[in-house]
Amino acid sequence: MAKYTMVDQETCIACGTCGACAPDIYDYDEEGIAFVTLDDNRGMVEIPFDLHEDMQDALESCPSGSIKVAKAQFDSDANKFE
Amino acid sequence: MSQNDQVFDLTIIGGGPTGLFTAFYGGMRQCTVKIIESLPQLGGQLAALYPEKFIYDIAGYPKIRAKELIHALKEQAFHFSPTVCLEERVRYIKKLDGHFEMITNKGVHFSKAIILTAGVGAFEPTRLDHPKTAIFEGKNLHYFVEDLNQFANQKVAIVGGGDSAVDWGLMLESISQEVHIIHRRDKFRAHEHSVENLRNSTINILTPYEVKDLIGSERIEKLVISTSKTQEEKIIEVDAVIVNFGFKSLLGSIKEWGLEIEKGSIVVNSKMETSIPGIYAAGDITTYPGKVKLIAVGFGEAPTAVNNAKAYIDPEAKLQPGHSTSMNLEKPDFVTTR
Repeated sequence: MAKYTMVDQETCIACGTCGACAPDIYDYDEEGIAFVTLDDNRGMVEIPFDLHEDMQDALESCPSGSIKVAKAQFDSDANKFE
Repeated sequence: MSQNDQVFDLTIIGGGPTGLFTAFYGGMRQCTVKIIESLPQLGGQLAALYPEKFIYDIAGYPKIRAKELIHALKEQAFHFSPTVCLEERVRYIKKLDGHFEMITNKGVHFSKAIILTAGVGAFEPTRLDHPKTAIFEGKNLHYFVEDLNQFANQKVAIVGGGDSAVDWGLMLESISQEVHIIHRRDKFRAHEHSVENLRNSTINILTPYEVKDLIGSERIEKLVISTSKTQEEKIIEVDAVIVNFGFKSLLGSIKEWGLEIEKGSIVVNSKMETSIPGIYAAGDITTYPGKVKLIAVGFGEAPTAVNNAKAYIDPEAKLQPGHSTSMNLEKPDFVTTR
Protein backbone atom coordinates (compact mmCIF):
# COMPACT_ATOMS: atom_id res chain seq x y z
CA MET A 1 0.00 0.00 0.00
CA ALA A 2 1.35 3.41 -0.95
CA LYS A 3 2.18 5.70 1.92
CA TYR A 4 3.14 9.35 2.04
CA THR A 5 4.54 11.42 4.89
CA MET A 6 4.99 15.05 5.87
CA VAL A 7 6.14 17.01 8.91
CA ASP A 8 3.85 19.71 10.27
CA GLN A 9 6.54 22.36 10.73
CA GLU A 10 4.15 24.64 12.63
CA THR A 11 4.02 22.18 15.52
CA CYS A 12 7.48 20.51 15.22
CA ILE A 13 9.56 21.23 18.35
CA ALA A 14 12.91 20.26 16.83
CA CYS A 15 13.54 17.44 19.28
CA GLY A 16 15.30 15.18 16.77
CA THR A 17 13.29 12.02 17.44
CA CYS A 18 12.01 11.37 13.89
CA GLY A 19 15.48 11.50 12.33
CA ALA A 20 16.72 9.05 14.96
CA CYS A 21 13.88 6.65 14.07
CA ALA A 22 13.93 7.10 10.29
CA PRO A 23 17.15 8.78 9.12
CA ASP A 24 16.41 7.88 5.50
CA ILE A 25 13.17 9.86 5.56
CA TYR A 26 13.55 12.81 7.93
CA ASP A 27 16.26 15.44 8.37
CA TYR A 28 16.40 18.88 9.98
CA ASP A 29 16.81 22.41 8.72
CA GLU A 30 19.25 24.86 10.31
CA GLU A 31 16.75 25.56 13.12
CA GLY A 32 16.33 21.87 13.87
CA ILE A 33 12.82 21.74 12.40
CA ALA A 34 12.24 18.41 10.67
CA PHE A 35 11.33 17.84 7.05
CA VAL A 36 10.94 14.91 4.67
CA THR A 37 14.12 14.70 2.62
CA LEU A 38 12.62 12.69 -0.24
CA ASP A 39 10.42 15.50 -1.57
CA ASP A 40 11.40 18.57 0.46
CA ASN A 41 8.44 18.02 2.78
CA ARG A 42 5.72 18.25 0.18
CA GLY A 43 4.23 14.84 0.99
CA MET A 44 4.22 13.81 -2.67
CA VAL A 45 6.74 10.95 -2.91
CA GLU A 46 5.68 7.41 -2.12
CA ILE A 47 7.77 6.11 0.78
CA PRO A 48 9.61 2.88 -0.13
CA PHE A 49 8.09 -0.15 1.59
CA ASP A 50 11.32 -1.09 3.37
CA LEU A 51 11.17 2.26 5.22
CA HIS A 52 7.58 1.84 6.44
CA GLU A 53 8.59 0.41 9.83
CA ASP A 54 11.04 3.27 10.43
CA MET A 55 8.32 5.73 9.45
CA GLN A 56 5.84 4.10 11.84
CA ASP A 57 8.42 4.42 14.63
CA ALA A 58 8.85 8.11 13.88
CA LEU A 59 5.08 8.61 13.77
CA GLU A 60 4.59 6.97 17.15
CA SER A 61 7.62 8.61 18.77
CA CYS A 62 7.03 12.23 17.75
CA PRO A 63 6.20 14.04 21.01
CA SER A 64 4.20 16.79 19.34
CA GLY A 65 2.23 14.72 16.82
CA SER A 66 3.91 16.55 13.95
CA ILE A 67 4.69 13.51 11.79
CA LYS A 68 1.83 12.87 9.40
CA VAL A 69 1.37 9.67 7.40
CA ALA A 70 -1.38 9.05 4.85
CA LYS A 71 -2.35 6.75 2.01
CA ALA A 72 -2.61 9.68 -0.41
CA GLN A 73 -0.47 12.66 -1.39
CA PHE A 74 -0.46 15.67 0.94
CA ASP A 75 -0.04 18.38 -1.73
CA SER A 76 2.21 20.31 0.70
CA ASP A 77 -0.59 20.54 3.30
CA ALA A 78 0.37 18.66 6.47
CA ASN A 79 -3.15 18.96 7.84
CA LYS A 80 -4.88 17.85 4.64
CA PHE A 81 -6.32 14.72 6.26
CA GLU A 82 -6.98 16.07 9.76
CA MET B 1 -6.45 16.81 47.80
CA SER B 2 -3.57 18.22 49.73
CA GLN B 3 -3.66 21.88 50.56
CA ASN B 4 -0.78 24.17 51.16
CA ASP B 5 -2.07 27.53 52.27
CA GLN B 6 1.17 29.44 51.85
CA VAL B 7 0.86 32.17 49.26
CA PHE B 8 4.12 32.13 47.29
CA ASP B 9 5.41 35.26 45.62
CA LEU B 10 6.09 33.47 42.33
CA THR B 11 4.87 30.17 40.99
CA ILE B 12 6.65 28.90 37.92
CA ILE B 13 4.69 26.47 35.78
CA GLY B 14 7.13 24.28 33.86
CA GLY B 15 10.52 23.05 35.13
CA GLY B 16 12.53 23.15 31.90
CA PRO B 17 15.65 25.27 31.37
CA THR B 18 13.77 28.58 31.31
CA GLY B 19 11.71 27.61 34.37
CA LEU B 20 14.82 26.65 36.33
CA PHE B 21 16.60 29.90 35.49
CA THR B 22 13.40 31.80 36.36
CA ALA B 23 13.40 30.04 39.74
CA PHE B 24 17.00 31.08 40.37
CA TYR B 25 16.27 34.63 39.38
CA GLY B 26 13.14 34.77 41.53
CA GLY B 27 15.23 33.66 44.48
CA MET B 28 17.80 36.31 43.70
CA ARG B 29 15.05 38.91 43.84
CA GLN B 30 14.13 37.52 47.27
CA CYS B 31 10.84 36.05 46.17
CA THR B 32 9.45 32.83 47.61
CA VAL B 33 9.37 30.48 44.63
CA LYS B 34 7.47 27.34 43.76
CA ILE B 35 7.98 25.25 40.60
CA ILE B 36 5.17 23.04 39.30
CA GLU B 37 6.26 20.40 36.77
CA SER B 38 4.17 17.74 35.01
CA LEU B 39 6.89 15.08 34.80
CA PRO B 40 8.49 13.32 37.77
CA GLN B 41 11.75 15.10 36.97
CA LEU B 42 12.96 18.62 36.21
CA GLY B 43 14.69 19.60 32.96
CA GLY B 44 11.88 19.60 30.39
CA GLN B 45 12.71 18.41 26.87
CA LEU B 46 16.43 18.44 27.62
CA ALA B 47 16.08 15.77 30.29
CA ALA B 48 13.16 13.86 28.74
CA LEU B 49 13.96 13.89 25.02
CA TYR B 50 17.62 14.50 24.37
CA PRO B 51 19.80 14.34 27.52
CA GLU B 52 22.84 13.16 25.55
CA LYS B 53 22.72 15.78 22.80
CA PHE B 54 25.21 18.63 22.70
CA ILE B 55 23.93 22.20 22.70
CA TYR B 56 26.19 24.79 21.10
CA ASP B 57 24.30 28.05 21.54
CA ILE B 58 24.33 28.65 25.29
CA ALA B 59 26.29 31.79 26.14
CA GLY B 60 29.57 30.95 27.83
CA TYR B 61 29.51 27.27 26.89
CA PRO B 62 31.20 26.35 23.57
CA LYS B 63 29.31 23.06 23.89
CA ILE B 64 27.43 21.37 26.68
CA ARG B 65 25.39 18.17 26.94
CA ALA B 66 21.69 18.79 27.63
CA LYS B 67 21.79 16.77 30.86
CA GLU B 68 24.83 18.70 32.10
CA LEU B 69 23.14 22.02 31.40
CA ILE B 70 20.11 20.87 33.42
CA HIS B 71 22.35 19.70 36.24
CA ALA B 72 23.99 23.14 36.36
CA LEU B 73 20.66 24.97 36.15
CA LYS B 74 19.29 22.90 39.02
CA GLU B 75 22.31 23.65 41.16
CA GLN B 76 21.89 27.34 40.40
CA ALA B 77 18.12 27.34 41.08
CA PHE B 78 18.46 25.38 44.33
CA HIS B 79 20.66 28.08 45.88
CA PHE B 80 17.44 29.64 47.03
CA SER B 81 15.55 26.48 48.05
CA PRO B 82 12.55 26.71 45.75
CA THR B 83 9.64 24.43 46.55
CA VAL B 84 9.37 21.84 43.77
CA CYS B 85 6.11 20.03 43.00
CA LEU B 86 6.59 17.20 40.53
CA GLU B 87 3.99 15.18 38.60
CA GLU B 88 1.50 18.02 38.92
CA ARG B 89 -0.44 19.53 36.07
CA VAL B 90 -2.20 22.83 36.57
CA ARG B 91 -5.81 22.41 35.49
CA TYR B 92 -7.01 25.94 36.00
CA ILE B 93 -6.15 29.27 37.49
CA LYS B 94 -8.51 31.60 39.34
CA LYS B 95 -7.75 35.18 40.29
CA LEU B 96 -8.74 35.85 43.88
CA ASP B 97 -8.36 39.08 45.84
CA GLY B 98 -4.68 39.95 45.48
CA HIS B 99 -3.45 36.51 44.48
CA PHE B 100 -4.05 33.50 42.25
CA GLU B 101 -5.39 30.07 43.07
CA MET B 102 -4.11 27.17 40.97
CA ILE B 103 -5.87 23.82 40.95
CA THR B 104 -3.72 20.87 39.93
CA ASN B 105 -4.35 17.15 39.63
CA LYS B 106 -3.02 16.87 43.21
CA GLY B 107 -4.13 19.95 45.08
CA VAL B 108 -4.38 23.71 45.37
CA HIS B 109 -1.58 26.27 45.23
CA PHE B 110 -1.58 30.01 45.91
CA SER B 111 0.68 32.64 44.42
CA LYS B 112 0.87 36.41 44.08
CA ALA B 113 2.22 36.17 40.53
CA ILE B 114 2.64 33.34 38.04
CA ILE B 115 5.31 32.83 35.41
CA LEU B 116 4.49 30.32 32.67
CA THR B 117 7.57 28.58 31.33
CA ALA B 118 5.75 25.53 29.99
CA GLY B 119 7.41 25.37 26.57
CA VAL B 120 5.22 23.29 24.29
CA GLY B 121 2.98 22.27 27.18
CA ALA B 122 2.92 19.48 29.73
CA PHE B 123 4.80 16.33 28.83
CA GLU B 124 3.26 12.99 29.58
CA PRO B 125 4.70 9.56 28.97
CA THR B 126 3.01 7.67 26.16
CA ARG B 127 0.98 5.00 27.92
CA LEU B 128 0.81 1.32 27.17
CA ASP B 129 -2.26 0.84 25.01
CA HIS B 130 -4.16 -1.96 26.75
CA PRO B 131 -7.52 -2.02 28.59
CA LYS B 132 -5.84 -3.28 31.80
CA THR B 133 -3.15 -0.59 31.85
CA ALA B 134 -5.04 1.60 34.36
CA ILE B 135 -5.29 -1.24 36.90
CA PHE B 136 -1.53 -1.56 37.23
CA GLU B 137 -0.32 2.02 36.84
CA GLY B 138 1.00 3.32 40.14
CA LYS B 139 1.61 -0.30 41.24
CA ASN B 140 4.18 -2.25 39.24
CA LEU B 141 3.67 -0.69 35.81
CA HIS B 142 6.14 2.19 35.54
CA TYR B 143 6.89 4.85 32.97
CA PHE B 144 9.86 6.29 34.84
CA VAL B 145 12.67 4.89 36.89
CA GLU B 146 13.15 7.20 39.84
CA ASP B 147 15.16 4.87 42.04
CA LEU B 148 17.04 1.93 40.55
CA ASN B 149 17.07 0.16 43.90
CA GLN B 150 13.31 -0.29 43.91
CA PHE B 151 13.97 -2.98 41.29
CA ALA B 152 16.69 -4.76 43.27
CA ASN B 153 16.49 -8.56 42.90
CA GLN B 154 13.32 -8.30 40.82
CA LYS B 155 12.35 -9.75 37.48
CA VAL B 156 11.95 -6.66 35.33
CA ALA B 157 10.52 -6.35 31.82
CA ILE B 158 11.26 -3.18 29.90
CA VAL B 159 9.09 -2.39 26.89
CA GLY B 160 10.43 -0.07 24.18
CA GLY B 161 13.34 0.30 21.80
CA GLY B 162 14.72 3.80 22.31
CA ASP B 163 17.53 5.21 24.42
CA SER B 164 15.57 5.24 27.68
CA ALA B 165 14.59 1.59 27.36
CA VAL B 166 18.11 0.43 26.51
CA ASP B 167 19.82 2.66 29.10
CA TRP B 168 17.51 1.60 31.95
CA GLY B 169 18.01 -2.02 30.93
CA LEU B 170 21.78 -1.69 31.11
CA MET B 171 21.60 0.08 34.48
CA LEU B 172 19.28 -2.53 35.96
CA GLU B 173 21.31 -5.48 34.66
CA SER B 174 23.56 -5.60 37.73
CA ILE B 175 20.82 -4.73 40.24
CA SER B 176 17.83 -6.79 39.21
CA GLN B 177 17.49 -10.54 39.27
CA GLU B 178 16.71 -10.66 35.56
CA VAL B 179 15.98 -8.07 32.89
CA HIS B 180 13.94 -8.59 29.73
CA ILE B 181 13.71 -5.99 27.00
CA ILE B 182 10.73 -6.26 24.70
CA HIS B 183 10.62 -4.34 21.44
CA ARG B 184 8.34 -4.77 18.47
CA ARG B 185 11.21 -4.54 15.99
CA ASP B 186 14.56 -6.29 15.78
CA LYS B 187 16.18 -2.92 15.28
CA PHE B 188 16.67 -0.67 18.32
CA ARG B 189 16.78 3.07 17.79
CA ALA B 190 19.10 3.80 20.72
CA HIS B 191 22.72 4.96 20.34
CA GLU B 192 24.81 2.38 18.52
CA HIS B 193 27.21 1.80 21.38
CA SER B 194 24.32 1.33 23.85
CA VAL B 195 22.78 -1.27 21.54
CA GLU B 196 26.13 -3.04 21.28
CA ASN B 197 26.38 -3.07 25.10
CA LEU B 198 22.86 -4.46 25.21
CA ARG B 199 23.72 -7.27 22.79
CA ASN B 200 26.78 -8.13 24.90
CA SER B 201 24.84 -8.07 28.18
CA THR B 202 22.93 -10.77 30.05
CA ILE B 203 19.66 -8.96 29.28
CA ASN B 204 17.10 -11.18 27.61
CA ILE B 205 16.29 -9.46 24.31
CA LEU B 206 12.79 -10.29 23.07
CA THR B 207 12.18 -9.00 19.54
CA PRO B 208 10.04 -8.57 17.50
CA TYR B 209 7.45 -8.85 20.27
CA GLU B 210 4.63 -6.68 21.51
CA VAL B 211 2.72 -6.82 24.78
CA LYS B 212 -0.51 -8.70 24.21
CA ASP B 213 -1.83 -9.15 27.74
CA LEU B 214 -1.12 -8.31 31.35
CA ILE B 215 -1.92 -11.10 33.81
CA GLY B 216 -2.38 -10.54 37.55
CA SER B 217 -5.00 -9.28 39.97
CA GLU B 218 -3.38 -6.53 42.05
CA ARG B 219 -0.05 -6.44 40.28
CA ILE B 220 1.22 -7.67 36.93
CA GLU B 221 2.52 -11.18 37.51
CA LYS B 222 2.94 -12.33 33.93
CA LEU B 223 3.25 -10.66 30.56
CA VAL B 224 1.93 -12.30 27.45
CA ILE B 225 3.91 -11.14 24.44
CA SER B 226 3.46 -12.03 20.81
CA THR B 227 4.99 -11.32 17.44
CA SER B 228 2.84 -9.21 15.18
CA LYS B 229 3.42 -11.37 12.13
CA THR B 230 3.24 -14.99 13.27
CA GLN B 231 1.25 -14.41 16.49
CA GLU B 232 3.73 -16.68 18.24
CA GLU B 233 3.23 -16.15 21.99
CA LYS B 234 5.52 -16.18 24.99
CA ILE B 235 4.70 -15.77 28.67
CA ILE B 236 7.23 -14.19 30.99
CA GLU B 237 7.05 -13.87 34.76
CA VAL B 238 7.64 -10.37 36.07
CA ASP B 239 7.81 -8.41 39.30
CA ALA B 240 7.81 -5.06 37.52
CA VAL B 241 7.19 -3.67 34.04
CA ILE B 242 8.76 -0.44 32.76
CA VAL B 243 7.26 1.07 29.60
CA ASN B 244 9.40 3.55 27.64
CA PHE B 245 7.40 4.71 24.65
CA GLY B 246 8.56 8.34 24.79
CA PHE B 247 6.53 11.42 25.59
CA LYS B 248 3.68 13.46 24.23
CA SER B 249 3.33 17.19 24.81
CA LEU B 250 0.06 19.02 25.18
CA LEU B 251 -0.62 22.66 25.79
CA GLY B 252 -3.85 21.25 27.21
CA SER B 253 -5.70 23.27 29.79
CA ILE B 254 -3.44 26.35 29.41
CA LYS B 255 -5.58 27.21 26.39
CA GLU B 256 -8.62 27.54 28.64
CA TRP B 257 -7.27 30.06 31.13
CA GLY B 258 -8.37 33.10 29.16
CA LEU B 259 -4.88 34.10 28.02
CA GLU B 260 -4.39 35.59 24.59
CA ILE B 261 -2.98 32.81 22.42
CA GLU B 262 -1.59 32.94 18.91
CA LYS B 263 -0.73 29.75 17.01
CA GLY B 264 -0.37 27.77 20.22
CA SER B 265 1.89 30.31 21.95
CA ILE B 266 1.05 32.88 24.62
CA VAL B 267 1.15 36.51 23.57
CA VAL B 268 3.30 38.70 25.86
CA ASN B 269 4.39 42.34 25.83
CA SER B 270 7.91 43.68 26.37
CA LYS B 271 7.48 43.09 30.14
CA MET B 272 6.78 39.39 29.44
CA GLU B 273 3.30 40.10 30.77
CA THR B 274 0.41 38.07 29.35
CA SER B 275 -3.08 39.41 28.76
CA ILE B 276 -3.89 38.69 32.43
CA PRO B 277 -2.13 41.10 34.86
CA GLY B 278 0.00 39.11 37.29
CA ILE B 279 0.58 36.23 34.88
CA TYR B 280 3.89 36.43 33.05
CA ALA B 281 5.50 34.01 30.61
CA ALA B 282 9.01 33.24 29.34
CA GLY B 283 10.72 30.83 26.97
CA ASP B 284 9.31 28.79 24.11
CA ILE B 285 5.71 29.27 25.23
CA THR B 286 5.73 33.02 24.45
CA THR B 287 5.20 34.88 21.23
CA TYR B 288 5.63 38.51 20.13
CA PRO B 289 6.80 40.13 16.91
CA GLY B 290 10.28 38.83 16.12
CA LYS B 291 10.17 36.00 18.69
CA VAL B 292 12.90 33.38 18.37
CA LYS B 293 12.37 30.07 20.19
CA LEU B 294 15.75 29.20 21.65
CA ILE B 295 16.96 28.33 25.15
CA ALA B 296 19.26 31.36 24.99
CA VAL B 297 16.24 33.60 24.41
CA GLY B 298 14.32 32.00 27.30
CA PHE B 299 17.28 32.77 29.55
CA GLY B 300 16.92 36.43 28.63
CA GLU B 301 13.15 36.53 29.03
CA ALA B 302 13.31 34.95 32.50
CA PRO B 303 14.89 37.96 34.30
CA THR B 304 12.57 40.32 32.42
CA ALA B 305 9.55 38.33 33.60
CA VAL B 306 10.81 38.05 37.20
CA ASN B 307 11.80 41.70 37.59
CA ASN B 308 8.46 42.87 36.22
CA ALA B 309 6.57 40.34 38.34
CA LYS B 310 8.51 41.59 41.38
CA ALA B 311 7.41 45.14 40.62
CA TYR B 312 3.82 43.88 40.19
CA ILE B 313 3.85 42.07 43.56
CA ASP B 314 5.55 44.92 45.37
CA PRO B 315 5.11 48.27 43.64
CA GLU B 316 7.73 49.68 46.03
CA ALA B 317 10.37 47.26 44.69
CA LYS B 318 12.79 48.41 42.08
CA LEU B 319 12.43 47.01 38.58
CA GLN B 320 16.19 47.02 38.10
CA PRO B 321 17.63 44.27 40.24
CA GLY B 322 21.20 45.34 40.88
CA HIS B 323 24.05 43.03 39.97
CA SER B 324 24.54 39.47 41.11
CA THR B 325 28.27 40.08 41.58
CA SER B 326 27.50 42.09 44.70
CA MET B 327 25.43 39.30 46.26
CA ASN B 328 26.64 36.63 48.62
CA LEU B 329 24.95 33.43 47.51
CA GLU B 330 24.49 30.82 50.20
CA LYS B 331 24.65 27.03 49.97
CA PRO B 332 21.94 25.20 48.07
CA ASP B 333 19.13 23.48 49.88
CA PHE B 334 16.52 21.53 47.95
CA VAL B 335 12.97 21.16 49.21
CA THR B 336 10.54 18.82 47.48
CA THR B 337 6.87 18.47 48.20
CA ARG B 338 4.60 15.91 46.68
